[in-house]
Amino acid sequence: MPVDRYQGFVFNVADLSEDVDIDAERRREILFLHAHLSDFTHWEVLSLPWNATSEAAREAYRDRVKVFHPDRYPGKRLGTYRARLEQIFRRLTEARDALANETTRAAYATRTAPADEFARAEAKRLDDEERSKERRARLGRTNPMLARVGRVHELVQRGRQQMAEGRFSQALNDFATALAIDPTLVDAKALAQEARRRSNAEKAKDLWDKAHAAEAVNNLELAQEMAAAAAEADPSNPRYPVFAARLALRRGATDAARSLAEAAVRVAPGHGPAREVLGEVLAAQGDKAGARRELERALELDPGLETARERLKRLRWSFLG
Amino acid sequence: MSEIEPFVGIDLGTTNSVVGTVIDGVPRVIASRSGQILTPSVVAVSKNGKRLVGNIAKRQAITNAENTVFAAKRLIGRRWGAKEVEDARKVLPYQLVPGPDGHDVRVVLGGRTFAIPEVSAMVLAELKADAEAFFGRRVSKAVITVPAYFNDGQRQATKDAGRIAGLDVLRIINEPTSAALAYGFGKQMEKKVAVFDLGGGTFDISILDIGKSVYDVVAVGGDTYLGGEDFDRRIMDWLTFSFAKENQGVDLRQDKMGLQRLRDAAEKAKIELSATQGANIHLPFLAAAGEGKAALHLAKQLSREKLEELTKDLVDRCVQVTERALRDAGVRPAQIGEVLLVGGMTRMPRVQQAVKQFFGREPSRGVHPEEVVALGAAIQAHALLYPQKDREVLLLDVTPQNLGIMVVGGYFATIIPKNTTVPTSQTHVFTTVQDQQSSVRIAVLQGASDKAIENELLGEFILDGIRPGKRGEVEIEVAFDISADGIVGVSARDVDTGQRQSITVTATSGLTEDELRRILDENLDELLERKQSGELERLRDRAEAMISEIETLVPQVKDALTRSRFGKDALQKADAVVARARAAIAAQDLQQMTAVEEQLDRTIQLFKGLVGGAPIPGGEA
Repeated sequence: MPVDRYQGFVFNVADLSEDVDIDAERRREILFLHAHLSDFTHWEVLSLPWNATSEAAREAYRDRVKVFHPDRYPGKRLGTYRARLEQIFRRLTEARDALANETTRAAYATRTAPADEFARAEAKRLDDEERSKERRARLGRTNPMLARVGRVHELVQRGRQQMAEGRFSQALNDFATALAIDPTLVDAKALAQEARRRSNAEKAKDLWDKAHAAEAVNNLELAQEMAAAAAEADPSNPRYPVFAARLALRRGATDAARSLAEAAVRVAPGHGPAREVLGEVLAAQGDKAGARRELERALELDPGLETARERLKRLRWSFLG
Repeated sequence: MSEIEPFVGIDLGTTNSVVGTVIDGVPRVIASRSGQILTPSVVAVSKNGKRLVGNIAKRQAITNAENTVFAAKRLIGRRWGAKEVEDARKVLPYQLVPGPDGHDVRVVLGGRTFAIPEVSAMVLAELKADAEAFFGRRVSKAVITVPAYFNDGQRQATKDAGRIAGLDVLRIINEPTSAALAYGFGKQMEKKVAVFDLGGGTFDISILDIGKSVYDVVAVGGDTYLGGEDFDRRIMDWLTFSFAKENQGVDLRQDKMGLQRLRDAAEKAKIELSATQGANIHLPFLAAAGEGKAALHLAKQLSREKLEELTKDLVDRCVQVTERALRDAGVRPAQIGEVLLVGGMTRMPRVQQAVKQFFGREPSRGVHPEEVVALGAAIQAHALLYPQKDREVLLLDVTPQNLGIMVVGGYFATIIPKNTTVPTSQTHVFTTVQDQQSSVRIAVLQGASDKAIENELLGEFILDGIRPGKRGEVEIEVAFDISADGIVGVSARDVDTGQRQSITVTATSGLTEDELRRILDENLDELLERKQSGELERLRDRAEAMISEIETLVPQVKDALTRSRFGKDALQKADAVVARARAAIAAQDLQQMTAVEEQLDRTIQLFKGLVGGAPIPGGEA
């Protein structure tokens, strides 16, 4: 047995002679490791060299827990050793968890590096930093983006032009670029807002058309997705969420239908069709009272809604209601 | 098997339970005294006040629905007022009431209230008795399994149930882990395994990294309220609604007996559809149509396709939970080396298909989905009791949910994150916020939400007798500990003086220690009583229950029977059997009672077959 295995550790005689069912060598292993739980590194508790890989840590963990897990001593009297084994197990798990993840392992390696290792890594880091600084400076001299700084005015000008021609998203792009270069441009900010609003409305209209096209070929899922996207792009128009909710309802996705219908009502509380569709959703979810309430509101707001009238009538006649 | 003390592994299921052991290094299941592998997790009190457990309790469920408790596992360790309990109250034929302190759930059975662990204990005691009959000696050492996603309260309550049943619970282990253990036992294995466990009431997914006979759980996920019972319920709802539509709004849910028949029929059809494309559901005389009208019958055909449509979202939910668990484990489906299917519900072709599609591989057919969990538990019990020479195993499980405390603003601060290997512990230092503050209240919770209120409250701990001092000056270190059973412990000490701080636990969903002791005392009395009369009494109880069942069934089948010669004959024979059984009971004749029991059972089966709609042998007149 190598003499220096326990690095000159002095064992307590009382611990070594406690009346438990563990052999003498195993006791030494347990006592030694337990005494070093806080000063050993994650690698040391796993009996691995510094900077060993994640895979090695996982392997070593398995070997070590088979020795140190209290469950591995069935029917044995463990006395004070049980608590020691439990603490060792927790420490081994902590070490494994930290080393099994490559990111935390690398960070830990830097922190626990031996002195000469640390010096070498530090030199390399400084060297790298120097080089990257140089590279950045070189890029800055030739980068066309940065060269554009003087052209803010031109950008705003071109944006206005594009607005006038109805190309809202391109206009928005130009205004945003101008603002990125000079965030203090007040009129560009207002213009960008307007461009964004109109660009979104246009996008929503486009999605709305696509939703109808998808519906026409009976792809309800896609249609619903498009309509919901339209509602998101242009939150001011209740028509979009109403349509999306109807589609979701037809697909039987009542939960989705419900949140869409509720969104529609939130956007326009006075919009009859929004109330109507919420009523339909509630009816589908079995909330008869809620459905009746919403349908009645819909009719109050918009007495021309014949479908709502029909539905309400049917709800009132339902045998289970 | 004689020199070592016998031990068991118990899979305490929502619908069925199984007990196993290891003999000469080979894990095996123990059949019940009546020869069944699966013992229904059903407990009843018969009309004459006798307790019935297992098959016998399930058999009489139709005629005694209000006093028959099934699926108690869905309620164990839950808090009165929890959503799951509220839902259960709406659909269960038996009555639930709050416990004396208003926190836990009690069930009314034969005019008495029982805590849920007491009900589960009756099932455990039955399995224990089966094991004792098998070994021919006393059995107390046991490992009991729970769904991986069970929280602290549910685990604690299960452990209490074990104690009430007179078991020495060596460990509470997770069902999927147990299944993996049984699967890998005796094999040299080095791979990642996913266990997909869809049982009667719960769904679990566990990802394990197995190597060098260490079973290391990497991540778990699940839903403790998703299982076969929910599939049955979908069929029941479908039957109820279509029945109402066809019969002018007759609501089948009003009649408890009818509901129980409907439940049985739904379960039967579901099981049948795992093998066939269509199932006939036929329940004659199911409901009364009103005064003077003929009784209503239910006859429906359920196709596999329709069943899949009715339960699509349930299967989807399983897949979503699985997806999340894999993400937590940092594992891609393709890295999984084996997929195990556990639990009766995984026999459903649609479920198997979904699993196959998700993992891109054929699930393993190497395990018996209903027995594997009990076998794994038995292997673990063996490993915890006796040193293993060549078949060593070590289970390393994780905690399924974040453990934490409520902090200012009603937020939840995680102290031990989910998927941490257990046993584990973590400390947290609390300081006083007022001058001379003498107590601190800590709400300990488990769950996934940032908001405390959306998580499960495990208990409130009050630290009192705090040393007087200026605010912020006194620091109390609280240690949160999760045992290998997954059960949470809390202790506290004063940082400066090192003195242990007293803790009072309130508002737990479980039994208090006093109450547990009272129940244990009561059970002891009952045990002594039962020992005196022993076997004879048990036989008598069984015979009496069967007689009363026959008597309830006779009026239902009389019409059908008297129409054919065979039927009249059967009716006469039944009368004779009942008379013989009565005589045997009166004479306390053990032999006669044993002999007549089988005949009683056959009569019941025949009559139940008729109620269930089988054609009458001998033809109709």
